[in-house]
Amino acid sequence: MNLKNITADKLVALYKNRDLTVTEVITNVYDEIERTDKDVRAFISLSRDRALEEARRLDTRIAAGERLEPLAGVPVAIKDNMTIRDTVTTCGSRMLENYAPPYTATAVERLRGAGAIVIGKTNCDEFAMGSSTENSAFFVTRNPHNLDRVPGGSSGGSAASVASGTSLIALGSDTGGSIRTPASFCGVVGVKPTYGRVSRYGLVAFASSLDQIGPFAKSVRECAQALEAISGFDHFDSTSADAATPEFARNLDQSIKGTRIGVPKEYFIAGLDPEVKAKIEAGMKIYQGLGCELREISLPHTEYAIATYYLIATAEASSNLARYDGVRYGLRAGGNASLQEMYRRTRHEGFGKEVKRRILLGTYALSAGYYDAYYLKALKVRTLLLRDFQKAFEQVDVILTPTSPTVAFKIGEKTGDPLSMYLSDIFTITLNLAGLPGISIPCGKNSENMPIGMQLTTNHFQEALLLSVAHHFEKAGGFAV
Amino acid sequence: MKISEGDVEYVAKLAMLEVADDEKKELAEQLSRIVEYVEKLNELDLTDVEPTAQVVTSVKHAVRDDRVAPRTGSGDAARTVKLFKVPKVITER
Repeated sequence: MNLKNITADKLVALYKNRDLTVTEVITNVYDEIERTDKDVRAFISLSRDRALEEARRLDTRIAAGERLEPLAGVPVAIKDNMTIRDTVTTCGSRMLENYAPPYTATAVERLRGAGAIVIGKTNCDEFAMGSSTENSAFFVTRNPHNLDRVPGGSSGGSAASVASGTSLIALGSDTGGSIRTPASFCGVVGVKPTYGRVSRYGLVAFASSLDQIGPFAKSVRECAQALEAISGFDHFDSTSADAATPEFARNLDQSIKGTRIGVPKEYFIAGLDPEVKAKIEAGMKIYQGLGCELREISLPHTEYAIATYYLIATAEASSNLARYDGVRYGLRAGGNASLQEMYRRTRHEGFGKEVKRRILLGTYALSAGYYDAYYLKALKVRTLLLRDFQKAFEQVDVILTPTSPTVAFKIGEKTGDPLSMYLSDIFTITLNLAGLPGISIPCGKNSENMPIGMQLTTNHFQEALLLSVAHHFEKAGGFAV
Repeated sequence: MKISEGDVEYVAKLAMLEVADDEKKELAEQLSRIVEYVEKLNELDLTDVEPTAQVVTSVKHAVRDDRVAPRTGSGDAARTVKLFKVPKVITER
């Protein structure tokens, strides 16, 4: 059974009607993975025994007529940078190849609490550093729409799994666009929540002031259900927000008539693919048809966002990744003359090229003599970028942009030129710097049949509006599953 | 600013990274391009602009009472493992 034509709510209804058992669905999902995942390669590891055990237990409960959780028996995939107790969590790195953590990430725990069944863990760029999933130390994941193209990154495995019908919901993490870019490239919905909305406990840290966990699914409704399940305050994350979790799924159909949608002129730049631009403009018309008011706005510091991001993210990464010292996480290079040599050799063997490049850049930006010139300056520009958004949200409720300037690029196309890879994140990274929530939703395909994504943003903690505006577009534009 | 192979060596030492000789040149070139790009920030007048290290919005800082409570994981490790073997970290001078 391929899950491409079904959604989580419909699947749960089929279970309740006894039309399907959870065991047969989960068994079929693994058959489908066996059949298709040798090409796509979304999964890094599978947890068949536990998943089938959970399925059997659920079937017994259904037979007994017990009340079911909202996502009962829904097969989900987890990006391999979130911990699951006693399950190897590689983060796409040789450094963590054998790391079996003794605890489970809060977001995963809560998704399970809502009834979901974890079927496996998905491939990603090493330590979530990348925009294509080509930086995984293990293998490259391919775009289900065209196997010669990247799925986007860094949560490429999660997006590819949902798009190829081997999971209904997947969790990813987004530090600079790592949920929204793969959602756009793979033609699925991906949500990056407000910073602090979802606990980062158990998420392997890349850049702690930017990282945020969020869901992928084929529909906005499923993303709303998943977000509702994973949100909320957590004592184990010191930056967790004490914000109530609204009923996202129930509020989706609220009227959006009169919603003010801003379109920033700085996002319609040279380098924006004309076919992407055309679909975004068609999307704006759909919103006009829905009674929304479109306004041109300005986010004047947009052109400084990538420079700011790559200083802050690498500085935080260089500090976070200092913990991989050959003592605590499994990998240790042997035969060393000194402790210092053991550190250096272990880190040499354990880290891939991109990770090393970013640690070097971050260390440089933080080093004596350069701290003020690079890191501190970037923190100040971050203030300006945040102010741009604050001013914009005085005039509009939602901001509409493309998710990425292009459709999915070819495998290998950008690996030799890190800067060009960084530049592809231009529309997504500003939201992380400002801590804002964002969603990427499908808005059509180009002439080569590759999906195009539209990004919507609202003010902090306005996910209910964000999801509802996205849901209306999905219905009106004919993109609903 | 141009990053030299010497700079790469120096920063690698700070970051406890080993960089092979044949990697140094490529890294110096790539990092130079990136650093030249980020120097774009020099165009901005940042006098009187406060830095933002964390976008804090209605965050309840997780300052909890000092109570003993089970924490996932750590207890299991202590129960199942009698000792942790670590590499020698003290050397004689």
